[in-house]
Amino acid sequence: MVPKREELTLKKRHSLDRKEALWAYIFISPPILQFLIFFAVPLGFAVYASFTDWNILNPTQHFIGLDNFKEMFTQEKFWKSFANTGMLVFAVPIYMFISVLVALGYNRKIPLNNAFRVIYYLPFVSSLVALTVMWRWLFNSQFGIVNNFLRAVFNIEGPDWLLDPKWIKPVIMLMIIWKMIGVSSIYYLAALQNIPKTYYEAAVIDGASGVKQFRYITLPMLTPISFYQLVVFSIGTLQTLIEVYMLTEGGLGGRNYSAGTVAFYIFDSGFRNYRMGYACGVSLVFLILVMAITLIQFKLSDKWVFEGN
Amino acid sequence: MNSKIKKTIIDIVVFILLSLGAVTMLFPFLWMVSTSLKHPNNVHMFPPQWIPNPVIWRNYIDIWTIAPLLSGIKNSAIVTFATLFIGTFSTSISAFAFAKMRFPHKQKLFQLILIMIMIPPVSIIIPQFIGFSRLGLTNSLWPLILPGLFGNVSMLFFLRQYMIGLSSELMDSGKIDGCNYFEIYARIFMPNCKPALAANIIMWFMGLWNEFFGSLIYLNSPKKHTIQLVISTLNSYYASQTNFPIIMASSVVAIMPVLIVFIAFQKYFTESFALTGIKG
Repeated sequence: MVPKREELTLKKRHSLDRKEALWAYIFISPPILQFLIFFAVPLGFAVYASFTDWNILNPTQHFIGLDNFKEMFTQEKFWKSFANTGMLVFAVPIYMFISVLVALGYNRKIPLNNAFRVIYYLPFVSSLVALTVMWRWLFNSQFGIVNNFLRAVFNIEGPDWLLDPKWIKPVIMLMIIWKMIGVSSIYYLAALQNIPKTYYEAAVIDGASGVKQFRYITLPMLTPISFYQLVVFSIGTLQTLIEVYMLTEGGLGGRNYSAGTVAFYIFDSGFRNYRMGYACGVSLVFLILVMAITLIQFKLSDKWVFEGN
Repeated sequence: MNSKIKKTIIDIVVFILLSLGAVTMLFPFLWMVSTSLKHPNNVHMFPPQWIPNPVIWRNYIDIWTIAPLLSGIKNSAIVTFATLFIGTFSTSISAFAFAKMRFPHKQKLFQLILIMIMIPPVSIIIPQFIGFSRLGLTNSLWPLILPGLFGNVSMLFFLRQYMIGLSSELMDSGKIDGCNYFEIYARIFMPNCKPALAANIIMWFMGLWNEFFGSLIYLNSPKKHTIQLVISTLNSYYASQTNFPIIMASSVVAIMPVLIVFIAFQKYFTESFALTGIKG
């Protein structure tokens, strides 16, 4: 037989819990609504639309089964866009490597240390539109400063960087690298500062050289942050769009679609050719691919990420 | 002693290398400012004139009449501040609930929301566009504002992480004082989250101010253009006339607000404490 008093408090407790849960559900309703309205419903719609010939110019749409998917695999632009995007992602390991070196520099007691960090970070926070406007003129074939420099100093005529299918991707990669070193190096700096000093002290006692300390202490301790960056920044780079739009004349994706990324192809199909159904199909393929890459990267991480003790 | 000299030499080499890097980083910015003050005829000189002669300050007056720069700034400000103001509230209050309150299915709901971080926005842009156009909201600032009013998932993630680190006794003391949950959030937890809030708000501010793709697909009439769209339109228009200084001066104006905020709050970016929660 439970005493009456305790029964009351239990009841009271229960109602308090319910009150707390009620408040909590009200508080979390904005992100839940955001998930439903701006994510789940559009995604569901994209799945539906990808099986139709939805076109903005045409009010009626028909169910066409897998035709959109069959068509995209025969389109040259579709394959090119994936290849171009894949190439741009190689910028990520390049700037991560440079950033490790930069972070090692930050980590020393040198003058203007903080000023360097601010300056390296500037491209990342600045408007991508303004930056690409500037890059377009730096790399202009006739009067761009790059070609002017090549002409004056080496007496060679530089290529038409932005129109030459060979050069447009490296230029975009260079821009991505330039933009990202500031962020990446700050991540590495944080990781470097988190390595316990005692590890190095122990290594010195054991007589390990500086190179050995770097190889056996610093490098393994940097793998978790490297992995984090590889995942997050690759996914970011896969979505490259504005650089392509702004750097290719009139936003056409470059000569022979040499710079068109998948994100650009989706934009192109949907908003230039008004083929919403087809663009939704490409979006879904892209979505599945991005998620697959994320999963693969997580699987691979077991092999080389040092998790600590 | 010998190792000390060695260390100094390495420091000098590192300093020189970092300086060279800094020049590379700054070069395009300096070139942009320099060009913005030139006469169109002096733009393509080589070696470049770093200090323009003559200095055409007028460029900075002309841009306001040549381009709808002012309305661009106004539109960007509306989008940015409406989103930040309401979005920060909805993000922080949900972060508080996920961090400190007890309710059924908490973990599952949180994971559901986190899915949004992993989804590339471009993959759902088409259906979102169709939705907004059905509602008759294209060519207005609403498609740029509405989603953000419900919050920002990555900020939610960071704030929740931060609030979990705050003592639960704050919660209990609030209850003892007779505060309801909203009061506990507003009066006790928010003041304790200032550093995390500041860092996240600044980052979001920059993202909103620099936003371009949404503006590009949703806004048609020049009166509605955000500053980024004004710049890009100006670029494609004046590119044919090669009136560079005008384009560069407008770009400088577009970059300025973010630059000022960034430099004022740079410690939130360049010091590692801002990175708590993402360290491997």
